[in-house]
Amino acid sequence: MPEFEPRILAFCCNWCSYAGADLAGVSRLQMPPNIHIIRVMCSGNVKPEYVVKSLVEGVDGVLVLGCHIGDCHYISGNHRTIKRFALLERLMDDLGIDKRRIRVDWVSASEGEKFQKVVSEFVAQVKSLGPNDIRRDAA
Amino acid sequence: MSDRERTVVVVGGGIAGIQVSLDLANMGFDVHLVERTPSIGGRMAQLDKTFPTNDCSMCILSPKMIECANNPRIKMHTYSELESVKGAFPAFEVVIREKARYVDLTRCTGCGDCVAKCPSKVSSEFDAGLVKRKAIYVPFVQAVPKKMTIDKEHCIMITKGKCGNCKKACKAGAIDYDQKDNLITFEASAIVLATGFDVFDVTVAQEFSYGRAKNVLTSLELERMLNASGPTGGHIVRPSDHQEPKKIAFIQCVCSRDKKYKEYCSSVCCMYATKEAILAREHCPELSSTIFYMDLRAVGKGFQNFVQRAKRDYGVEYIRARPAKVEEDPTTGDALVYYENSRTGESIARRYDMVVLCPALVPTLGSESLCSLLGVRIDGDKFVAIPRPADRPVDTSVKGIFACGFCQTPMDIPDSVVQASGAAARVAQALGVS
Amino acid sequence: MEPRIGVFICHCGSNIANTVDVEEVVRYASTLPDVVHADHNMYSCSEDGVGSIKAKIKEKGIDRVVVAACTPRTHEPLFRNACEAAGINRYLFEFVNIREHCSWIHMKERELATEKAKRLVRMGVAKVALLTPQEESESPVVKSAAVIGGGVSGMTAAISLADQGFETHLIEKGSELGGLVKDLGALFPSESTPLEFVKTMRDETAASGVRIHLSSEIKDIQGYIGNFDVTISENGKEEKFKVGVVITATGADELKPVGEYGYGRYPNVITQSELEKKLAKGERVGNTVMIQCVGARQPGREYCSRICCMTAIKNAGRILALEPKSRVVVVHRDIMSYNARNEALYRKSMEDGVTYLRYTLEDKPRVEGRDRAEKITLREETLDEDIALPFDTLVLSTPLVPNPDNGKLQKMLKVPLDRDGFFLEAHVKLRPVEFATDGVFICGCARWPSDVPECISQAGAAAAKASIPLRAGKVRTEAITAEVDETTCTGCGNCIATCAYGAISIVEVEGMRVARVNLAQCKGCGACVGSCHNGSIQQRGFTEKQLISMIDCLTEGD
Repeated sequence: MPEFEPRILAFCCNWCSYAGADLAGVSRLQMPPNIHIIRVMCSGNVKPEYVVKSLVEGVDGVLVLGCHIGDCHYISGNHRTIKRFALLERLMDDLGIDKRRIRVDWVSASEGEKFQKVVSEFVAQVKSLGPNDIRRDAA
Repeated sequence: MSDRERTVVVVGGGIAGIQVSLDLANMGFDVHLVERTPSIGGRMAQLDKTFPTNDCSMCILSPKMIECANNPRIKMHTYSELESVKGAFPAFEVVIREKARYVDLTRCTGCGDCVAKCPSKVSSEFDAGLVKRKAIYVPFVQAVPKKMTIDKEHCIMITKGKCGNCKKACKAGAIDYDQKDNLITFEASAIVLATGFDVFDVTVAQEFSYGRAKNVLTSLELERMLNASGPTGGHIVRPSDHQEPKKIAFIQCVCSRDKKYKEYCSSVCCMYATKEAILAREHCPELSSTIFYMDLRAVGKGFQNFVQRAKRDYGVEYIRARPAKVEEDPTTGDALVYYENSRTGESIARRYDMVVLCPALVPTLGSESLCSLLGVRIDGDKFVAIPRPADRPVDTSVKGIFACGFCQTPMDIPDSVVQASGAAARVAQALGVS
Repeated sequence: MEPRIGVFICHCGSNIANTVDVEEVVRYASTLPDVVHADHNMYSCSEDGVGSIKAKIKEKGIDRVVVAACTPRTHEPLFRNACEAAGINRYLFEFVNIREHCSWIHMKERELATEKAKRLVRMGVAKVALLTPQEESESPVVKSAAVIGGGVSGMTAAISLADQGFETHLIEKGSELGGLVKDLGALFPSESTPLEFVKTMRDETAASGVRIHLSSEIKDIQGYIGNFDVTISENGKEEKFKVGVVITATGADELKPVGEYGYGRYPNVITQSELEKKLAKGERVGNTVMIQCVGARQPGREYCSRICCMTAIKNAGRILALEPKSRVVVVHRDIMSYNARNEALYRKSMEDGVTYLRYTLEDKPRVEGRDRAEKITLREETLDEDIALPFDTLVLSTPLVPNPDNGKLQKMLKVPLDRDGFFLEAHVKLRPVEFATDGVFICGCARWPSDVPECISQAGAAAAKASIPLRAGKVRTEAITAEVDETTCTGCGNCIATCAYGAISIVEVEGMRVARVNLAQCKGCGACVGSCHNGSIQQRGFTEKQLISMIDCLTEGD
């Protein structure tokens, strides 16, 4: 039986985390091929609904990466992110989804290594949780 | 406005040069930005983080560099120098020498296939000599333009006629060993100097053992180590044994505020030493730093708070003393810092794993001859002289030539950015344009 | 009409092609919905590559483009320009990163990297199918300016703008121009007296055609960049005018340290500005002790006021010049003679005989006297000994403190103050004379204590920045701005609270309260979208439908 390869979505903000991912690439830092980046201008643009929908429909994990607090290109967008996702985390149990399938973190444009670390850690974590069988369970 | 009136030359592609170019371009001027090295970015590109907010230097610089490259009114001449300037304000006849890079910029995509195959290694200027680069190189990963340059002095093909590896590796056919320097002539109405600074070579101050003691570094070397995309990947290691230091000493005013070398204050060192001490502690939580200083110059917005944070949250110790010497303990590689207790007069020796010297910062090596070429007066310390500092803070001794940033007097990033924009305003005002 | 999507996959030499099977991705792309052409290039960004993309667009009637290559952060403008040149709206373009985000980070896993590249391309195609054409719209700018504050900073900014040909209003609270400098006794580093300096500037201001409003107060400022309505009360009479930009140059005040070191109790304990007045009249002050950092660099007011050390050094020199036999001692915690010019003046001061002694915050000097202050006892830091310093005059160097009107002005302009009460610029490093709110600028001591050369540089910088929209006569708005569906908006105001730029406001439409975005101020971050309950506010180029279509690519079968 082939090893479970999680399918993971990552929202990255244009100014910091997307650029950090670029730097990781330029530096040839190798990491598992499970994440798929959706570029947004600010992590504050990411509605918790997108994350819930992804997980409810079978994505195995979702990463939301923004700028460090204080460094948001749009001043306070990432403050919104952290508040919304703190709230979402508390609702995950009600939704029947393991909250460890979501991770919010900050990666600056110069943190290629941190990007690699966050991705590798998260992929390993989601792998250990196994496939997101929510659809199968619900059926 | 005629073409000539609209054309301005900016010499120096650091943050001040970039800022004045962007402002002038946005005000409707055509800018020729001349930069001596292969990429714009200057000193700020070498920094890890910037005080007092400790935000990532390249993150805030890179968008400005890209903006410069994309702005249709800015023509960047990298790896270039000002060859000659004739005439007077507002009609200067300018010649720029674009030095041969032996790479066709219209074909090079910056992919890097050539670098892997180049056999010639050279000390990296960008990495403060901590590591080597190749003879064909891009000075740093986020360089603008992201194009290769062959350093002809170290290229085996150009000096000896053997090799040619890069040409073979390049799928875009961009290598051209026969390329020549290119001279460009045009008319301009004004010139802005923004040539920045170099680090004074403190080897001459033998009492600090720099160049002999392995674990005595300059602050720029430490900065490159702290940088996550630097030669040690953001890890602070002692050059002697690659161990992480647990105790670091910073010595302020090395060859600075000193009658023997440079009498002036370099303005930014108290703040950047505090910054480096904070960052070092963030990298290694068991690390403690001592800063030996004369006057703790933290005069800008948020600077005093920054220093208080360093003392309170990062355990940085500040000792008011001017160490007389630094000696290496040859068995361990540790460095011993000798200073005087001002009250009793006794000599104290403290042992550190690593010592960081904060050297005098001096006008860039080429600026003296550049000013000579332009007829611009310099002062005793070779900074660009400003005859009327009170009401014309960016005007040099030559009408129509302005200077902003460190090249006229030591200053930090915010002050350089302000002066650069101020210089743009002065250009517009001097030309009476609207 | 169905979209006609063209997909172009880049080899980037060997950078992508060594890891990702480019031809397989091309084959896959051609099977995706609405894709009418899928192709590959060695270097898409080269003249060659761009040329072939443009040619294919025309040949196949492509109306939306996906390029899968390196990072959009470098070449997105290049390809947008190519689309535009080929006749397609530049916003009907999507860039997929399969180099930094794929080939370069999965170099040993070619099959998995190729599968990932296929998915990323599928996501890009799904999004581009839903993009709508956008225009960067323009908002007009009134070509005039208001400068608030008629000190050296305000005058410099006004002169610069007026010289560039813009109608400029200079609004001053007091009865004459000149701010703090007109009351100084001497001005470093200038040869002229402060009054001569200020008079020259006043003349220049008038000669440049600046409209000077003295004895004037700001009553109200409404509006946004390009379109500010300013109401002032000039000598009691109300006047209104429209400007495109506003420069704040309201300066600061010297702290009067009542209660410290006997100030207010002893007649011979004075501040530096009071000393300046005496020296200007040629008054003898005798043996003088100056204490630095009075009321500064301590709990409650932690900042360093930057200019007081140089002021003390200047005045110490002037006392010696007037009374060569007097003894002048400067008692300090650090001498802040930063940079080359200032350090040279400090050095000269010591050579001329001024004594510099150190005290610590923990052990401040103690003043003694009866009807007059007579001496201080100082715990000298370096010697760690008590020293008694008798004097004729005690001068206290106090910090500049924010203008008390800042709070009122801040609300009108919608700009922030920092924790010390000075105006807070957009970015301490890279945007020191601008605010996050477009069209409003800051310079001089209203931002931070600064000496005259620094104020003049800042004022010039503010004028340069302010002149950019004025010259253009318009501001270009972002294309990826937010827009509100007014039929579903409930007017809850969440988006307004979220917006860091004050770009959204409530308007009444047919009796219903709804949110509306000011396109001139919207920066296109999308934070408002994140806060909207029912998706009424959307961001162009990043709509909910578009993002969900990308998510669906991952949740549906491959």
